[in-house]
Amino acid sequence: MSHKQRVDQQPSFVLHSHPWRETSLIVEVFSRDYGRVAMVAKGARRPMSALRGVLMAFQPLLVDWSGGGEVKTLVRAEWQGGQPLLTGRALLCGYYLNELLVKLSAREDPHPGLFEAYSEALCQLAGGQSQGVLLRRFELALLRELGYGVLLDHDARSGEPVDPARRYLYIIEEGPIALGADIGSVDPDCQIISGQTLLDMAAGVLERPETLAQSKSLLRALINHYLGGQSLQSRRVFTELQLL
Amino acid sequence: MAYYLLQRDQRGAHRLAESLERALSSLQHCERCNTFTEERICQRCANPQRDARLLCVVEMPADLAMIEQTLAYKGLYYVLMGRLSPLDGIGPRELGLEKLLARATDGVVEEVILATNFTNEGEATAHMLSELLAARGVRASRLSRGVPVGGELEHTDSGTIAQALVERRTL
Repeated sequence: MSHKQRVDQQPSFVLHSHPWRETSLIVEVFSRDYGRVAMVAKGARRPMSALRGVLMAFQPLLVDWSGGGEVKTLVRAEWQGGQPLLTGRALLCGYYLNELLVKLSAREDPHPGLFEAYSEALCQLAGGQSQGVLLRRFELALLRELGYGVLLDHDARSGEPVDPARRYLYIIEEGPIALGADIGSVDPDCQIISGQTLLDMAAGVLERPETLAQSKSLLRALINHYLGGQSLQSRRVFTELQLL
Repeated sequence: MAYYLLQRDQRGAHRLAESLERALSSLQHCERCNTFTEERICQRCANPQRDARLLCVVEMPADLAMIEQTLAYKGLYYVLMGRLSPLDGIGPRELGLEKLLARATDGVVEEVILATNFTNEGEATAHMLSELLAARGVRASRLSRGVPVGGELEHTDSGTIAQALVERRTL
């Protein structure tokens, strides 16, 4: 599929890793210019390996790798620093971001814009910003960058601009349709959303309480749709923790 | 190893097979600390010399062994046999946290020391446990981290120094 490549000093984050053979790791890396790439970090699990403390999720790295197959070989990873470790709830939110990237983005499909949105979200998480707003902003950026054109500012049927005073029915894969017109019977799974929320989302301004609540349920429905039946483990773990 | 045993050391292979067989049939989890033991309650938990007011939570039996080696801790343990790892689908249910919570709220334990690893998963586990324990009125503490004993800043990795600065303490 891809040619043998040698990549140097690529800004990246580790999304996930799992042990491989006796002393190595397979690392799922999200890089700026190459998208999600899997690579073997040879010897990374040896007690004295210099890579041990470096290949941590949520930390900005510069990574060198080589190889032509689906799984590359990690050559070097350098910690860039400047970002405190995630702790507490922010850490659980970080896992959610990583799981979205692992499950929704394709391997070796570059999305520099998404990389930017991800770094910003991590930085805000580490800085203790309101998690609801930054998670919604990332979800929206993810869907847009991956090319699932989420229509927000126009009525999908009439083509007219969204009116902040009206209420809309949001149909996935189609867009908002003004309520009150002759739309026939309403599917109970469909989302009913105010025009103001749609415009706020289009502008990326999510702080208004109603916008935050409605965009959460709309984005959840969209993400579930594009996950195609896969469940999100980080969401399940989070819910289980609330119940204990 | 398998080829070597089959070709050169068949008696050793038998011994290994028997040991594994015996371990599989007789080992169980200690009722109190969850580590592997052949009895219902392991020797460490049954030892009256140990301080039952302290409970140290570790991920794996190897971590317990390491803390024991320091001779600096006289309390009891709880071994999680894993860590929270949302991306691998390991959550509170898979870790069997009810057993730990019951153990920590037995009325004797006064402080729970969270000694999970300083990886993201270990941190997430410690955070989750600290919240669950706080909700039940049990005091929790976390192992501190920073520059290693005898370590020189010049030869310490920058991630460790950065974190040591963030977590610095007043004297």
